[in-house]
Amino acid sequence: MAEVRLNHVEKAFGKFTVIPDMTLTVPEGSFTVLVGPSGCGKSTLLRIISGLEMPTAGEILIGGEDVTLEEPSNRGISMVFQSYALYPHMTVAQNIDFGLRLSKTPADERERRVAEAARILALEDYLDRKPGQLSGGQRQRVAIGRSIVRQPKVFLFDEPLSNLDAALRTQMRVELAQLHQSLDATMIYVTHDQVEAMTLADQIVVMNKGRIEQVGAPMDLYDRPETEFVAGFIGSPKMNLFPASAIGRDDAATIGIRPEHIRTDHENGDWPATAQVVETLGADTILYVTADGIGDMTVRLPGHMRLAAGERLFLTPDPEHLHRFGSDGRRLTS
Amino acid sequence: MAIAATTRRLSASERLRRSLGNGRVTAALILLPPALLIFTLFVMLPLGESVWYSFFNWNGYGAPTDFVGLENYQRIAGHSIFHKAVGNTLKIVAISILLQMPLALLLALLIYRKTPTNAVFRLIFFLPFILAEVAAGLIWSFVFDGNYGVTASIAQSFGAESFFILADRDWAFVAVMTVIVWKYFGFHMMIYIAALQSVPEDLIEAARIEGAKRRQIVRYVQIPHIKPAIIVSAFFAIIGALQVFDIIIPLTNGGPSNQTHTIVTYLYTFGLTRLNIGFGSAVGVILFFAAITVAIFYQRFFMGKDKA
Ligand SMILES: Nc1ncnc2c1ncn2[C@@H]1O[C@H](COP(=O)(O)OP(=O)(O)O)[C@@H](O)[C@H]1O
Ligand SMILES: [Mg+2]
Repeated sequence: MAEVRLNHVEKAFGKFTVIPDMTLTVPEGSFTVLVGPSGCGKSTLLRIISGLEMPTAGEILIGGEDVTLEEPSNRGISMVFQSYALYPHMTVAQNIDFGLRLSKTPADERERRVAEAARILALEDYLDRKPGQLSGGQRQRVAIGRSIVRQPKVFLFDEPLSNLDAALRTQMRVELAQLHQSLDATMIYVTHDQVEAMTLADQIVVMNKGRIEQVGAPMDLYDRPETEFVAGFIGSPKMNLFPASAIGRDDAATIGIRPEHIRTDHENGDWPATAQVVETLGADTILYVTADGIGDMTVRLPGHMRLAAGERLFLTPDPEHLHRFGSDGRRLTS
Repeated sequence: MAIAATTRRLSASERLRRSLGNGRVTAALILLPPALLIFTLFVMLPLGESVWYSFFNWNGYGAPTDFVGLENYQRIAGHSIFHKAVGNTLKIVAISILLQMPLALLLALLIYRKTPTNAVFRLIFFLPFILAEVAAGLIWSFVFDGNYGVTASIAQSFGAESFFILADRDWAFVAVMTVIVWKYFGFHMMIYIAALQSVPEDLIEAARIEGAKRRQIVRYVQIPHIKPAIIVSAFFAIIGALQVFDIIIPLTNGGPSNQTHTIVTYLYTFGLTRLNIGFGSAVGVILFFAAITVAIFYQRFFMGKDKA
């Protein structure tokens, strides 16, 4: 367990600057998720923490120690790759054991740790198989097992679930959360999937173009997005964002309202609209409408709702939940 | 047992019926004859002919009439120069596997990554392989020349007497093997480079994180990953060693005192140039079976495992 701190870290590939200036603290024992659109520099940042990439400037501290110039293996970290990166010619047991073998850990200790990891990850029956004979979820577990046995202070994950199907992803998400609880280690987890971020994290770092947009607990980001980008990125379906002038306000540049904070009515309301598509999911109904003079809007209603495309209706936003953003994209507080 | 046998027979007939149905047998019937014809015409017939000639004492003119049975084979078996030639061929196999392949692997590991400098080195190291064998032999015969050659001037600069390495009974074949290593290491290096480039970068990075040093990454990650390529290159090295010929002719022509023959130069010198076609054929047949043995060995021990 250790805190990870980045001080004015910068990274450029040739002339192309991926991370201009990043300062970030990952608290000891936290599950911190780096989230952002593809290509925003999440993997690069994780690789800088791991030591696989050198920052162009700035420093990295793990557990208070400056590790900027340390080899990856001396940083007390482990990493799970998106591709799993298992050695195809080794058995599951050998894969998990590899790092211990290199570090010349005593044989009985190695055996004990591999057995323990196999138990935690339900891999006991597969120890003699080669990775090629495993399913995606099992390979993922082996990759996690390999990082557990080294007992690192910090676990790094780079989109570890993106190669799994939806059902398995949900299951592995739960397992990862349990793993974090039982290991009590600092975890830094990269994903472009905001659902993964919301469900796993106790701290989310939203990144955009190599910069931090906002850092906070999932519900803080949800309830009080600091920028228009975070407002649009966190939450599914997305927050409705439109120019303030469209509803005749001049106290902001952009107004945002989440789909679940809009009420509908057939007789009266603030914004007249036409229904376009209705998705009934069972627990709730997602309504895609076009509001007159404002544009496309998404509405989320609890329960079932019968509505035909083309039908007219009225929308009323909950004034408590209106988000206002200035012309610089930052949140305005009254 | 009986039940197992029945099911097997049933499934066999079933398989036949299905393959007739899906046109695979038809395809084989159409596609096989041309291949078979070409194989017969260009492999089986010449081979059969060689076997036939090898039973005659024949100079290549007219029809072979002087049937001598296995006498040619007996003469080969008792010929000390043939023993020398086989020994030399085995030396080439050994040097290819023990020196050339490790050298090629080392260089491949140094320059497999795609960078502009590496591309230049790759080209330089590959040049000897592109060069025609005879040209390579000629170039090196100048290098080794005792009066004007590079080795001679080096020796002289150290104050040693000028010497003719290619005329030295003990050292001539060492020189020949040097040239062979120089000529063909680039080929093996290219095989390894292609294989090394296919090793996922993730695997190497994962190993680095787990504390593997450069040497350990090579040993535990890269070499196991390119093992199939190494086996193929060993196969080429052995088959190539059995065929070494046109590099030797300009260098030593088998001399001095027949010390540097390989099986093929032996065949050429004692079979063709001395018009002992029957004798030469017998050497050719022996060489063919040696090559076949290597190929079968390779199939059995390596190809099968690759598939599993
Ligand atoms: N080794 C590299 N050389 C040059 N550009 C790179 C390299 N690695 C990443 N990049 C660039 O950096 C940017 C961020 O990449 P990455 O960190 O992988 O994004 P993410 O993981 O958020 O999708 C991308 O535009 C990518 O093209
Ligand atoms: Mg990435």
